[in-house]
Amino acid sequence: MAGTLSPPLETQGETLPEEQSDVLGAADHPWITIVWNDPINLMSYVTHVFMVVFGYSKPKAEKLMLDVHQRGKAVVSSGSRERMELDVNTLHGYGLWATLQHQDG
Amino acid sequence: MRVTRRRGHVRINLEVVEAGLLATLFDDLGGALEVLPEDDPVRQRLFPSAYPEDEDAATEFRDLTEDSLRDARVERLERCRAELPSSEGNVELDDEAAQRWLTVLNDLRLAIGTRLNVSEDDEPGIDPADPDAQSRAIYHWLTALQDSLVHAVAG
Repeated sequence: MAGTLSPPLETQGETLPEEQSDVLGAADHPWITIVWNDPINLMSYVTHVFMVVFGYSKPKAEKLMLDVHQRGKAVVSSGSRERMELDVNTLHGYGLWATLQHQDG
Repeated sequence: MRVTRRRGHVRINLEVVEAGLLATLFDDLGGALEVLPEDDPVRQRLFPSAYPEDEDAATEFRDLTEDSLRDARVERLERCRAELPSSEGNVELDDEAAQRWLTVLNDLRLAIGTRLNVSEDDEPGIDPADPDAQSRAIYHWLTALQDSLVHAVAG
């Protein structure tokens, strides 16, 4: 089962040059993708999209969908700003209301 | 309308009026995607701001993504349009096509639901005296079709 968070940068590939690793290391998961509740998207469809886009298991996708539905929003992924922009763009393609922000913002 | 799944394929059986309705809705949305002004609620719903609290970043993101996302929406709409039976009949979908149909039906529901100002507090059922009664009936039919398709795709 995929975790809540995308893998940290240092596990995604080759070792980074030393002068970059501090910068990128400090930047672990600084951005988050949020999906907001809306009255049109079906609960079944939203669950399906989380499974297809993120590879989440059905229980995890359903939990996130219920968070969106009942709490108004849910953090669905985190990582670099570029990665989150890709996720948001993908989710917009599926018609979900997604935004990104710095996790401290 | 009936959605069934067999041997990994999904079949949507449409009556002649249903196939005709979908053809009209696909054409309407395809036309709208090309001309909707920036402040139109349907355009704002289909292409939401990625950065609601940062106007500059939102504009930059929009400049980078909106054209290609609109092209993708038009392209998948045209492919679904081409798969419609010309009269009563079946649409046979492999997994890729079924996923595409799901997103296109969702685009239609987002557009019509936004126009109708659909809310979670809406009463079930349709008031025949409502001037939007016909659009609401179409919206509910699309909802049933999309929900059946999600369940067929998810197995």
